[in-house]
Amino acid sequence: MTGPTQPKPSAADSRSVRFRIARCDGPGKPTRWETFAVKIDRESAGANVISCLQHIAAHPVTVEGKRTTPVVWDSVCLEEVCGACTMVINGKVRQSCSALIDQIAPNDGDEVTLEPMSRFPVIRDLWVDRSRVFHNLKRVKAWVPIDGTYHLGSGPREPAKAQDTRYTLSTCMSCGCCLEACPQFTRQDDPAAWDTTFVGAHALSQARLFNMHETGKQLAGERLEALTGPGGVADCGNAQNCVKVCPKNIPLTESIAAMGRAATIHSVTRFFKK
Amino acid sequence: MDTQARKVSVLDRYDFLLRRLHSLTGIVPIGVFLIFHLLTNSSIGWGTLDKRNVERAGLGGHAGVAAFNHDVHFINDTLPFLIFIEITLWASIAFHSVYGFYIATTGRSNVKRYGYQGNWRYVLQRVSGYIGILFILYHVGTLRWGWTFLVPGGTRWSAEYAASTMALALRGSVENVTVAGVVVSLGYMLGVSMLVFHFANGLWTAAISWGLTVSAAAQKRWGYVCTALGVGLMLMAWSAVAAFATLDVDRAESTERNMQKGSLTERAGRP
Repeated sequence: MTGPTQPKPSAADSRSVRFRIARCDGPGKPTRWETFAVKIDRESAGANVISCLQHIAAHPVTVEGKRTTPVVWDSVCLEEVCGACTMVINGKVRQSCSALIDQIAPNDGDEVTLEPMSRFPVIRDLWVDRSRVFHNLKRVKAWVPIDGTYHLGSGPREPAKAQDTRYTLSTCMSCGCCLEACPQFTRQDDPAAWDTTFVGAHALSQARLFNMHETGKQLAGERLEALTGPGGVADCGNAQNCVKVCPKNIPLTESIAAMGRAATIHSVTRFFKK
Repeated sequence: MDTQARKVSVLDRYDFLLRRLHSLTGIVPIGVFLIFHLLTNSSIGWGTLDKRNVERAGLGGHAGVAAFNHDVHFINDTLPFLIFIEITLWASIAFHSVYGFYIATTGRSNVKRYGYQGNWRYVLQRVSGYIGILFILYHVGTLRWGWTFLVPGGTRWSAEYAASTMALALRGSVENVTVAGVVVSLGYMLGVSMLVFHFANGLWTAAISWGLTVSAAAQKRWGYVCTALGVGLMLMAWSAVAAFATLDVDRAESTERNMQKGSLTERAGRP
């Protein structure tokens, strides 16, 4: 390379990436912003947001030189299958383990903004309480009923075509991305409101998954009762952000429409039967 | 559990039914009415293409005016049970708008962060609902309920002089379009655009809500149909407003006078 041109930045070059992080000391406490600088070089090649957070936890000093408490976050699998490390990175919800620094901050001085998800109560810093995600799965009975006092024998065969559809739906990791991006899924800090507010795309898709399952079908009526109740499938506003942010590319809007169809048939049948 | 179940509000208990009714009323009767209403109104423009309207207008008459007045006459004088149609329509509009406001309060827009096209339509669906209902109230209030203080020039709309009084209500004066007339005409453009969008987009989302379009491909296909319908209705709505705002009021009035003479002779059984 000749002349006074700037060297092209690459992952191997040493560079400094700034992390602007929303800090919160505990539930109900105010949020403040703190910025940290993390050096990315040959040694930290392949760095992701979590490895940078680990570095910040080990050296909790802001860019102003102020010593602060280590940033708290949640993570488990580090390979984008558990959903625990979901947070808002540069304004969009995603997993922090699969947010690679070379992709989100390729140049020296780039800034990465980290915020906790806004639809769930903050426990501390970037760590939120995702209980409502699982509560809503319970609302739609997202499981296969196999518990009994005697051996139930082998289940019915699963048609190959249904397996195809169901496999994609089964990759849902309950991370909460679809809920964070949904304009109809609003934050509810009082668990009493969880049963009547929108159940969310993930729960609708799981209801579809288990309604398609040959044994899971046994609870189809109960699932549809829940989906035609308050906060059910009709509360969807069709903004379709869910399918755009789903890290597993699950066709959530197709699931919503499929459950909408099932709910239509269920409610009409119920009207004439009961 | 039991005490909690009793605390469920009426809105929550009938959540599914109310939301489906909200979706249904938007299509039938409101959406269907909108289509026929725009067909009638835009006849001021395309009515000239029909030879029968040229005959109705008579020598020197305005065929568009003849077409529009003929339609208004048909609706007012020959359509059976008009009062029941009006009651059903108003009950539907009242429910659709009041419950629509409630639905809007259950969500919170986030287009700033997630600026996807679908998310923008989600917001616009709500905004068009707010503007749309205000426009409907102004439109019906000024033309049917006598809120003439809100009409430029204070024109009172009459079914006998449907085209000329409508044109005056938009223009503000016979000779030219007054400043107030421009404001009202632009308001009409905005109002009808919002309502047509609201209907076309609502028709698209309703197909998902009811479960007609399940696959993403089907949703896309239906999207093309709704867009085509929306564009068609939009053109009808715009051309109608433009045609009324630029109408030759004197010529329209003389056409209407001639037609009334004609209808009187018809009623008297004379050829």
